[in-house]
Amino acid sequence: MDKRIIADPRAHYGSGRFDTWTFIVQRLTGACNAAFTGFLAWLVVRLAGAERAEMVSVVAHPLVGLLLCLLLVSVSIHMWIGVREIIEDYVHEPRVNRLSLGLNTFYAAAIAIVGIASVVKLVFWG
Amino acid sequence: MPTHPRPLSPHLSVYRFTLTMAMSIVHRITGAALYAGTLLLVAWLAAAAWGGAPFEAVQGLFGGWPGRIVLFGYSWALLHHMFGGFRYFVWDRGRGMEAGAREWLSRINLIASLVLTLVAWTVFVWR
Repeated sequence: MDKRIIADPRAHYGSGRFDTWTFIVQRLTGACNAAFTGFLAWLVVRLAGAERAEMVSVVAHPLVGLLLCLLLVSVSIHMWIGVREIIEDYVHEPRVNRLSLGLNTFYAAAIAIVGIASVVKLVFWG
Repeated sequence: MPTHPRPLSPHLSVYRFTLTMAMSIVHRITGAALYAGTLLLVAWLAAAAWGGAPFEAVQGLFGGWPGRIVLFGYSWALLHHMFGGFRYFVWDRGRGMEAGAREWLSRINLIASLVLTLVAWTVFVWR
């Protein structure tokens, strides 16, 4: 895969359906993130420099824990798609491209999993 | 009839720098910075879940002045990227694409992000 293939209209490079999904989901997660930014700011300000017990009591509130999990999922998907586009634009050597896309997926998934696991731990086990 | 390969955009090396072009690049850079910075958010949550020494370490990290500078930068990047996203929502509706309007959207983006970051930090942190 190189620039000549990407530029050739007969090659139909890329997936039309995935690009449409990407467009829609990027906007959905973006709107979701924007709506939750106020919540995130509130959370950080409320718990800045707080003792662990206070953190547990605030995050363990079901609404806070749920919103935090939703935010983590939305942020992870949004940043996964965003960095995919950056990699598509700048990384052209096929093996480095596949490696980068794989690392991106791993990082986004790790962020979501570790984040949600932490919130679940705080909610259910304190 | 043979089709000719479509030309690829030469990106930075040829185009005259315009405000909207700079804002688009900054949108991408803030996105990448947020990508890295989300690690901080999750590290904070994971340290809280773990408790004990890791939690004290993370709280100390964010309490010190280098941590505060990073958090300030992260909050500005977040607001700038968010307002940039709003610009895209406006353009999705097909509005704001004319010569003057798009520059104003870019200016509002930059000004709003700077002002709101400073206001938020002043009100909530530097009281």
